[in-house]
Amino acid sequence: MSIEVRGVTKTFGDFVALDNVSVSLPRGQLTALLGPSGGGKSTLLRIIAGLDTADSGSIEIEGVDATRLPAQKRNVGFVFQHYAVFKHLTVARNVAFGLEIRKRSKREVAERVDELLSLVHLSQFAHRLPAQLSGGQRQRMALARALAVEPSVLLLDEPFGALDAKVRKELRDWLRRLHDEVHVTTVFVTHDQEEAMEVADEIVVINDGRIEQVGTPDQLYDEPANDFVMGFLGEVTTLGTVKIRPHDIAVSPTPGLAGAIRGTVDRMLRVGFEVRLNVHTDQGQDVTVRVTRAQARSLGLVEGSEVWLTPAPVGLHAVLVSSMAGATPVPPTP
Amino acid sequence: MVELSTPVKWLLRAVALGYVFMLVAWPVALIVQQTFADGLTTLSDTLADPYVANALRLTAVIAFWAVVINVVFGVTISILLVRFEFPGKRLLSALIDVPLSVSPVVVGLALLLVYNGRTGWFGPTLESLGYQVIFNGPGMIMATCFVALPLVIREVVPVLTEIGDDQEQAARSLGANARQTFLRITLPSIKWAVVYGLVLSLARSLGEFGAVKIVSGNFTGLTQTATLVVEQKYQNFEQEAAYATSFILAAASVLCIVVVSLLRPKESHS
Repeated sequence: MSIEVRGVTKTFGDFVALDNVSVSLPRGQLTALLGPSGGGKSTLLRIIAGLDTADSGSIEIEGVDATRLPAQKRNVGFVFQHYAVFKHLTVARNVAFGLEIRKRSKREVAERVDELLSLVHLSQFAHRLPAQLSGGQRQRMALARALAVEPSVLLLDEPFGALDAKVRKELRDWLRRLHDEVHVTTVFVTHDQEEAMEVADEIVVINDGRIEQVGTPDQLYDEPANDFVMGFLGEVTTLGTVKIRPHDIAVSPTPGLAGAIRGTVDRMLRVGFEVRLNVHTDQGQDVTVRVTRAQARSLGLVEGSEVWLTPAPVGLHAVLVSSMAGATPVPPTP
Repeated sequence: MVELSTPVKWLLRAVALGYVFMLVAWPVALIVQQTFADGLTTLSDTLADPYVANALRLTAVIAFWAVVINVVFGVTISILLVRFEFPGKRLLSALIDVPLSVSPVVVGLALLLVYNGRTGWFGPTLESLGYQVIFNGPGMIMATCFVALPLVIREVVPVLTEIGDDQEQAARSLGANARQTFLRITLPSIKWAVVYGLVLSLARSLGEFGAVKIVSGNFTGLTQTATLVVEQKYQNFEQEAAYATSFILAAASVLCIVVVSLLRPKESHS
């Protein structure tokens, strides 16, 4: 294990940010700490980095007890949401900072900086000031700076949070590829479940200062440990007595299947390739359903249509929503 | 930007310019005019006066030490105020503004009460150890420090607040200790605020009169600073010498401000 967190508690006044949290993060993996804002995930990351101290509990990094080590002795790379670039230093000097502190020879520093700048595709900006870079470039520079000192773990606190959607997507893919090249144990904090599922090998879901579940993206999506995890990783609606994802509901214009629930389409909203339906059932329930555009058209759905809803059985579901790549059905839990 | 009609614009300009002209530009120009009324003779005669020369030297020494002490303590207190939480922080912040609101004469008297050699709180003890504070250099430096105390702090605190502690945390995580973080990251970021505070302190220190007059005892040729010489010369009907000394004091302050505005880069957020 690369990082061992044991029984960490942290309070700010009477607000409990972390409540007796224990988790092991394996070596060489890309782990996401996922959860809603104020859930304690950033606090946990900062405690691992030594930027905050825990009230109780211990932190072990690469087998060394780091609980009482100051941040500068933990050999962790930290990337901040708002980049935290050194504004008065050029890009190259920013990246060189950690090496200069470690008194490496001029030649070694220059070589390493060159290498890292080409890794993050910023070689041609080496002599610019950070103010002349875009947000995405600044964050890549911050990443190179953190990697320069060859940290035993790399910690990223909402690294793409301040970037616009398109750049965020690019950097996300790029981080994944970078990790596959560099293999440093990486932990990043995010509140975006899509980001976590796309990038991470393993996800730790944190809410209200507690860990809700740890697992691979597939495990969390397919076998959520509780309602919170199920709700946080994707949209959830209630059909009859069953909690289900809106795209796992089969829609039929006729009462074909036993146990189908009858309702009328209240509202229809088309977003890109999918259509979101709000179905008002005869029992007075409002159910959210997602179908593809093609399905909506072939079923002839309009507002006011009468429909029958059933939880899609795994086999049937796969056929029905084959156009929705990557969506895996959740077996309905009673 | 608010659009103003042309007459209003001209009126506002005239009022602002007139105000500054009547209060600052004209009186200062008259000092210059008086100093150079007969070429350089007044200036060179005044500088040849050993009492004036000594007073100018004393002012320079006192201003130098007061500025050095103020910059060191000013930056330290600013970091304390912005980066740390401690009980009494708001009280400290309020106390720092006291020198701006209290008359320097009061400051001088207060120092006298604490440090005078016969009845002061500390004075007799210090004097028995061989340190004379009042009527001597240290007292004058203390008085000058006191009046210029807020100038560095009020320049540095807003800048420290604005830059936040992200960069400092990043430096820490990259292995820098407190000293390295301060020298490599914090100080370069607040550089221009410190320089501005320094110049303001220097100008204020050169011109200090009230507090220094009380704690110095105003002994001619010994503890008389340039401002005190100006007063004495003026009262002794040696107006030319008074004007010339005033000119030198004003020129030194103006020079500081000009040099800094030339040095300071166009983009102040460096």
